[in-house]
Amino acid sequence: MGIDMLALFRDYMGTGMIVIWYLIALLYLWMKEKRRYMRILFIYMPVVLLVLYFNPLFAQLVYKVTGDEVYYRILWLLPITVVIAYTCVCITGCIAQVKPPQGSLFHAWRGLPADLAALCMAGALAVSGSLIYSSPLFSKAENLYHVPDSVVHICDAINVPGREVMAAFPLDLVPYVRQYSAFVCMPYGREMTVDRWNYHDPLCDALEQDPVDLEVLVPLAREAACHYCILPADRKLTGDPQAFGWTWFAEIDGYVIYRDSAVELWNPETQSFQ
Amino acid sequence: MGVQLLILAVLLLAAPAVVGGLFLKADKLGGHLVFRWVSGQFLLWAGFQLISVPLIIQEHSFSRLVQLFTGYVAAMALLAVAVEIQRLVKGRKPSPDRTRGQGSGDNPASGVLLWLVFWGVLLLQLVQAVRLSYADTDDAYYVAISSITQEADTMYRKLPYTGGSTLMDIRHGLAPFPIWISFLARMSGMPAITVAKVVLPVVLIAMTYGIFYLFGRVLFPEGGRQLPLFLVFAEVLVLFGNYSIYTAENFLIARSRQGKAALANIVIPFLVFLMLLLLKKLQEKQRIQVSFYLLLGAAAVTGCLCSTLGAFLVCLAVGIAGLLGALCYKRIRVLFPLCACCVPCAAYALIYLLLE
Repeated sequence: MGIDMLALFRDYMGTGMIVIWYLIALLYLWMKEKRRYMRILFIYMPVVLLVLYFNPLFAQLVYKVTGDEVYYRILWLLPITVVIAYTCVCITGCIAQVKPPQGSLFHAWRGLPADLAALCMAGALAVSGSLIYSSPLFSKAENLYHVPDSVVHICDAINVPGREVMAAFPLDLVPYVRQYSAFVCMPYGREMTVDRWNYHDPLCDALEQDPVDLEVLVPLAREAACHYCILPADRKLTGDPQAFGWTWFAEIDGYVIYRDSAVELWNPETQSFQ
Repeated sequence: MGVQLLILAVLLLAAPAVVGGLFLKADKLGGHLVFRWVSGQFLLWAGFQLISVPLIIQEHSFSRLVQLFTGYVAAMALLAVAVEIQRLVKGRKPSPDRTRGQGSGDNPASGVLLWLVFWGVLLLQLVQAVRLSYADTDDAYYVAISSITQEADTMYRKLPYTGGSTLMDIRHGLAPFPIWISFLARMSGMPAITVAKVVLPVVLIAMTYGIFYLFGRVLFPEGGRQLPLFLVFAEVLVLFGNYSIYTAENFLIARSRQGKAALANIVIPFLVFLMLLLLKKLQEKQRIQVSFYLLLGAAAVTGCLCSTLGAFLVCLAVGIAGLLGALCYKRIRVLFPLCACCVPCAAYALIYLLLE
């Protein structure tokens, strides 16, 4: 298996517009830049890097050591932002040095053409890219931990001072739980949320079923020594939780917490089972 | 909270700025506060990497690392203060950068306006870093490692996803950026998750623009409105850098608490900046100070702290730029100290290959 460098490059470029601006900037610097140290760093070095990047032998070598998932990071060595920003300023400077004809509007406002050019270039760059905050993955933080409030409240509710507890969470909460609390352990983790990793866990599958079949879920959770199981409050259950030894512990932020009384939970602080 | 923030301000702003005084001779910019802050932080990061990796491999406790690294920070700060005092006693002042001035034909008002725009947009980004949360599941590894280390006092000995015990994860153990976050959390008393997701983005985004500022100082020595204009363009490119999820700009704004974001936006740009200074010195036939190479070495080691791939990327960048510089300026001898700067990266790569 080899690396498809071109596909990785395309993925990195997105629409490709910013990279086109970068190539135009390189061309401009190649024609206009006189300082040799600038030419070395801003023109020759990126060209050598790109030649290496697209070299299949080099790619195979890197792939063997690092894997193909991170090969695109070689492109981080291209000083795209600095080169484009520098070129834009140079162009603005060139426009500012042009003397406008007598009596023209620009004669009264000598800096106006350069300012307009800067504004246009900034606009072109903005249109060519995509606003970072428009990503759907951004949301207003619910707290100073930047995890959902429900995770904070549930973890605080099931926390037993001085020891770890084992709890099975729905997949939408799984990535956040152990960021917030190192004392809450889980029978399965974030690997279940990444499709391409292709992980499967029968307990996770049973908990994500709708309706949840307690006859399947409870033995699996017990086998994993789960003190608690957290289920979405609107999830239907087949079977009576109490009949399976589960007691209702709490309902928090749209999730119901069940405590499995068959899995002992020693509280070191109170010196008793709870 | 106030005391915690104060401690973090000392660790992330004051201490690096003091320690950065050790690089006063590295360049004409050495006396500039931004240069001191950035270079000081690199020296502290490099020290963290050199201290932490052996302790991680030997499975020492996190507390031991905290003791040793605190000692290192204190020693570096004291050394920097001593050097500063010696400099003052001898009456040597850092040569002021005389290249600054009003650019020809510049309108001072437009320069002020551009600075206002820059600071306004930077402030917006810092506020957004605190106000907005980015759902990246990689945090389930990196931030969990920081939280576990702070709570359990072990390093890379627990599974971050589930919590069970595990053997050393050498791939991540060689790039212990999350452990540095745990250090900040332990020292300040703030939860590691808050340090990682609220405090650190603010500091690292500001540092990235600090490096852009340093670039601007070298690229536009005549000053004037060109420098703030350059920074405003850089801001536009960062803010609209979401053209794919792989860009350095995306990592900066969305995932700044992860080592790879620091690699893409702080280590690599600073390394390129140092190579720019090096090539400029070669062109101007200036003597290159030992402290400059020390700083370059610190940057190279910091690359390893951020990501295991950092060792490779740092060597690649230094190798290409150094080789081109040596050939173009016919100064082959410059390659020897550059190779020496890359030796730690090669050593970490070797450890990775041997232990993986």
